[in-house]
Amino acid sequence: MSALLELKKATKDFRGVAAIKDVDFTLEQGEIHAILGENGAGKSTLTKVLAGVYQLSSGEMLFDGKPAQLASPADALSQGIAMVFQETNLVPSMTVAQNIYLGDEKMFNRLRGLYIQAQRFLLSLNFYVDPMALVSSLGAGKKQMVEIARAVHHKARLMIFDEPTATLTPEEKFHFFNLVRRLQRDGVSIIFISHALEEALELSDRITVLRDGKVSASDLTKNFDRDRIIQAMVGRSLTDELYSGGDKHRIPRAYGEKVLSIQNLSMGTVVRNTSFSVFAGQITGLFGLVGSGRTETMKIVSGVLKRDFFHGGTISFNEKPVRYRTPRPAVRDGIVYVTEDRKVEGFFETMSIAANIQLGTVAKGINPLAVISMTEARAMARQWTERLAIKAIDPNARIIELSGGNQQKVVIAKSAVQKPKMIIFDEPTRGVDVGSIVEIHRFINELADTGMAVIVISSYLPEILALSDRILVARQGRIVEEMDSKSATEQRIMYAAVH
Amino acid sequence: MRKIRLTQEGVVLALAVAMCVVFAVALPNFLTTGNLIALVRSVSILGILGLGMGLVVIARGIDLALIATMVVSVSWVLSLTTNSGWNLGPALLLGAGFVILIGLINGILIAYATIPAIFTTLAMGLVVYGVGRGWLFQVDVQNTPDNSAFFNFLGRTTVLGMPMLIVAFLVLALLMWLALRWTRFGRFVYAMGDNPAAARIVGLPVRPMIVAEHVITALIAYAAGLVMAAASSGMSTRVYNSTMIYDVLLVVVLGGIGLSGGRGGVRNILVGTLLVGVLLDGMTIMDVPYIEQNLIKSIILLCAIVVDSIINPRDEQTAQQEQGDI
Repeated sequence: MSALLELKKATKDFRGVAAIKDVDFTLEQGEIHAILGENGAGKSTLTKVLAGVYQLSSGEMLFDGKPAQLASPADALSQGIAMVFQETNLVPSMTVAQNIYLGDEKMFNRLRGLYIQAQRFLLSLNFYVDPMALVSSLGAGKKQMVEIARAVHHKARLMIFDEPTATLTPEEKFHFFNLVRRLQRDGVSIIFISHALEEALELSDRITVLRDGKVSASDLTKNFDRDRIIQAMVGRSLTDELYSGGDKHRIPRAYGEKVLSIQNLSMGTVVRNTSFSVFAGQITGLFGLVGSGRTETMKIVSGVLKRDFFHGGTISFNEKPVRYRTPRPAVRDGIVYVTEDRKVEGFFETMSIAANIQLGTVAKGINPLAVISMTEARAMARQWTERLAIKAIDPNARIIELSGGNQQKVVIAKSAVQKPKMIIFDEPTRGVDVGSIVEIHRFINELADTGMAVIVISSYLPEILALSDRILVARQGRIVEEMDSKSATEQRIMYAAVH
Repeated sequence: MRKIRLTQEGVVLALAVAMCVVFAVALPNFLTTGNLIALVRSVSILGILGLGMGLVVIARGIDLALIATMVVSVSWVLSLTTNSGWNLGPALLLGAGFVILIGLINGILIAYATIPAIFTTLAMGLVVYGVGRGWLFQVDVQNTPDNSAFFNFLGRTTVLGMPMLIVAFLVLALLMWLALRWTRFGRFVYAMGDNPAAARIVGLPVRPMIVAEHVITALIAYAAGLVMAAASSGMSTRVYNSTMIYDVLLVVVLGGIGLSGGRGGVRNILVGTLLVGVLLDGMTIMDVPYIEQNLIKSIILLCAIVVDSIINPRDEQTAQQEQGDI
């Protein structure tokens, strides 16, 4: 095997701040290569350099033994490097076939011919996707298949995946792994970024770990284990790290008062006639695969989903029937929802950390002419940066300058200052580095200890097991199983969640 | 980012001052009393309208009905007092009620019927103008009532040597600054402009806020109209057909309030107003033909929008590249 791609002393800086520095990286022909690292370690920058999104500030890149100059992602694609981004780059209003051949159309495009061609092509890849389906109607897994098909169509010799499995269900993940292996057999080299160490260990031939923009370890996968990767990622050993969850010595918290009671709640085909209760002073873990309606259920409860989507059933909060049409009355009554997508609906990017946190209390008020106190904002920021160990140079730093983990902490602080009676965390540690996960989990536990009703939605079983006092499992729009944390195991939960 | 924004404001201010100096030296008519009064007038009117537009733009909206609201409401008030024999007091109240109604309709359509602000207000501008021209008054030009204490006060008096017009502008600017910078309302405006989805989830009354902004903006347009009527002893409906709405947008964008929302403040409106006011005045003195003036303005507006979209990208993906997500 010879090297397909090589980076020598590659450096990329943004306004003088190096995102990656002196990185040496080699990718063999037909290799599956995992890139791991905490948030902010430089993984995305590295892959974007390879895909032509960024150009190197200094250093050298060799592709096929020749110096490569990639001006743009399109240029990279024409040379055989395709990148599948975390958010897909498909045109939602077009069909699968149109997307695959996008940018490649003949002058006179006969759709029927295109569909037949696409059908053959997709079958040759063993992709069971209807070429005439609109992309907007597909699930995350199928969208990814279409992206991959497009890359294969462009005869990509190197495919780069950024967090390919983040949005996939376990079944879809399984298919994805098989697909990657098949691509490898066809001689395609693969680079993927992941937060899930197990995936990297299972799938890859070689692992490169980045830390602070530098390569901290790079070796064949068989020479790695979980501990060694984590050590390379954080520079410290975290053997019995965050997920002490399997540990059964922890005593589950007792049931407090019944805070939330849901009867026969329905919303279209997403939430179907679901009923359950939530109690104060404990953490209720809510597990479900994509499409189980878990997020939607909670968004209805907290008023985040528009009322048109409310198709019946009753919600009682503190024994009082409620039906929120916007989040505002829910927040004022004490229900807050911490979003799973902080960038889109979590924080305010033009504002400082202090202003972001303060907005939580400001938002609860009524009088529009009330004066905003900057002193109060600074005091709040100081208190919360300490309490959640937010790493920032000063509280007036803009939130956009922080890493994902610290941004998430600010979003959480913004909700916590609203003094909720019930707080809903949707994927509280998605895209968050290992160190922050520990701190966020500690804080969630603290909240439950103070008597608050806490709901944690997560797709990551170890997280659910580590945090929950009581576990609800959602499947196809309803809660199908309830377990206490003593008897719950990953197998039991997954068994309930799949259909 | 912070640095760039500061320099943008600085550059605009420096440009305005430089232009003042150049005009003062090169154009003998620039420093005459007559011209300075004209300059002050146009700057105050433009500035007040800029405050109104700035408010909605910071909250990620736009109000293209601004000029129509101003022209029709004030023309109606004047028509009622001069032709129909109303007293000024009740007529002014009716005018205020009228603009509040326009603001309410704008806001409700945008917030509750979720029609994009740009289309809603564009159409509303036409509707308002049509209603005014069709039913509320008959002639193009309405004069202010003779010897009206109110308009004389606005148009002719001075405070500490400053014409009342500019004082009115400065007072409104101060109020706006206080509201935006120090009140809960202001914080809500910035939050909504920055990230509407996050603002909703954190519990802001997003839809009532949109309605409130449009009502306030309509009232500011009304104030601008009264100042305009006082300054020129009347109101011409032809103003609606002029390029004034683009001058106002120019003030806002050139001053450095990003069209993507959440950025900028009253300071930006002040420098923007100064630059645009001086520019328009200079071109008028130089006797640049109307058509060429418009061409120059439109090119500047286009450039300003391009620069704005580079500095304050609307699109998340570009924003990330600018920042370099790691």
